[in-house]
Amino acid sequence: MEDEYFIASDLKRVLQAEGVEVVGPVGRLADALAIIERERVDVALLDVNLGSAMSFPVAERLQALGVPFLFLTGYDAWTLPEPLRNVPLLAKPFDSDAVIAAVHALCGMEEVR
Amino acid sequence: MTLELHDESDLLATLARKNAVLQAINRIFHEALGATSEEALGRLCLAVAEDVTGAEFSFMAEMTPTGDKLHDLAISDRAWAVFHRMWPGLGPETLPTHLDLHGLYGRVIHDDASLIANDAPRHPDAIGTPHGHPPLASFLGVPLHRQGRLVGVIGLGNRPGGFREIDRLAVEELAPAIVQALYSKRAELALRESEEMRRVSIELVPAILWRTDGAGHNKMSNSQWAELTGQSEDEIAAWGWLDAVHPDDRAGAEQAFRRSYSNGEPLERQMRIRGREGAYRWFLMRQAPMRDAESSVTHWFGAATDVHDLHLLEERQRRLVAELQHRVRNILTVVRSVFARTADTGGALEDVADHFRGRLDALARTQAIVTQTASGHVDLENLIRDELLSVGVADGEALSLSGPDVPLPPRAAEAIGLAVHELAINAVKYGALKVPGAALEIVWSTDVADDGTRGVHLTWAERGVPVIAISPNRQGFGTELICEALPYQYGAQTQLAFAGGGVRCSIAMPLHEEGNTF
Repeated sequence: MEDEYFIASDLKRVLQAEGVEVVGPVGRLADALAIIERERVDVALLDVNLGSAMSFPVAERLQALGVPFLFLTGYDAWTLPEPLRNVPLLAKPFDSDAVIAAVHALCGMEEVR
Repeated sequence: MTLELHDESDLLATLARKNAVLQAINRIFHEALGATSEEALGRLCLAVAEDVTGAEFSFMAEMTPTGDKLHDLAISDRAWAVFHRMWPGLGPETLPTHLDLHGLYGRVIHDDASLIANDAPRHPDAIGTPHGHPPLASFLGVPLHRQGRLVGVIGLGNRPGGFREIDRLAVEELAPAIVQALYSKRAELALRESEEMRRVSIELVPAILWRTDGAGHNKMSNSQWAELTGQSEDEIAAWGWLDAVHPDDRAGAEQAFRRSYSNGEPLERQMRIRGREGAYRWFLMRQAPMRDAESSVTHWFGAATDVHDLHLLEERQRRLVAELQHRVRNILTVVRSVFARTADTGGALEDVADHFRGRLDALARTQAIVTQTASGHVDLENLIRDELLSVGVADGEALSLSGPDVPLPPRAAEAIGLAVHELAINAVKYGALKVPGAALEIVWSTDVADDGTRGVHLTWAERGVPVIAISPNRQGFGTELICEALPYQYGAQTQLAFAGGGVRCSIAMPLHEEGNTF
């Protein structure tokens, strides 16, 4: 979930090159919430600031559904609300290898559970 | 005091004198209570001494700290009356100072001994009298002592018939009482002044001050706490003042204060306090212990300062910093992305560098404009002209712009700025702005959608451009921007065609008023 087109598009390409099926990207809260209700999502990558809103409602919904996710963001952890401070963070500008590694790790987590 | 037991009449005279002196001392201390200045008390003491001795006028003087001059403490009322006959306009405000130690009174100081001079003008120390002073016929001077030290002199003049031993004795008996009364009055006035200064400065301090005993009980505060919260002294005395603290801050505040009282550590904490009208404001509360000689805490002194505005500013600043970090990192990511795309389309390094620089400049331009205007809005026409100018195109026959004034919010300005940049570069290199005889028409308008949001509709139409193969390098980024990025990121509806005659592009973008974190 990312509102900046170029960033979203680059991420999509990186993930697809790794064989990940990408649902999205989407830039709006409403669209994201609809997707996670409608489809089975294994992993989510969320930007924190979507320009017109913060992605916290989506994050909270994902936590409730037990879907692993990370924040890919320009913000530091201290700016996030308390319940979301333990979510893994990747800083922008993102490193493709780091993103792939993080996605694998998140998927691995699901297996363990 | 010596008792000269010559005969009964001497005894009676002595008794009479002592009586008079006692009454005089009584009078001095009685009047001292009400005296409002040292000088007024001095005049009273002199009047008493004149009454006891029968002198016509008198004065008192105090030595300076350096011991080489005298300042007049007071000149008697009778003396002033005499002066006024000669010099109307002189008054108690103009007491002489810095008198040299000469004359008969100087002799008294010098010898630290009383002096009677009943033929004053012919006394070896006589220096005459100041201008306007009545001629001195007889003089009695007595030194004034305090705690064993010589501090000044009292001088009386012109007793009809001259001064006698009993007069000297009487004044010597009065002298200690006079000194005591004067110095007490001086100390009392100094204390009152310092109290007044303290009171005024406390009221001026823009903080609420309080004090408790060593255990934190019996809280007392200056009037400002009551004015702020409406609580009475009784209410705040125990822990009642906590009622005025915001419920969310109350538990933490109580804990912090109790901890401070029990371990003697100073405290500093922010909390919200409810004013009389019911509104809460942020206050910085601090308190510190006062210790006695054995380092036990005897009192706590505390102050509360209104930091509400400061608090809000700090919060705002934190949000700003976070927002700034976000923006900067986003922009860097976008720049990296744009570069990757520019480089991907291949071509000579010069071309890549050129394209990239152009795009980076366009990005920078929109950022600059957005931050420059107070509202953060950019006029659409200015934006278009700026972009055209940046590729070297000014008004001319080949170019026509028309449309209403449209202030664009920052995000829309960014999007349209980048799109226009791509279209302009393309036109300059291959299109209507390069081919002679070709024309470019840019038209825009605004509308309101069904849901009430305003939108802007921009069309870019080139004419007269022969159909040529447009470089796919160029096409890639600009096309992606207009056809993919604008709809995805800005909710725009776009169309792009490379028809006969040149590029035709249409962009319909909603103009949401952006919520401002700033």
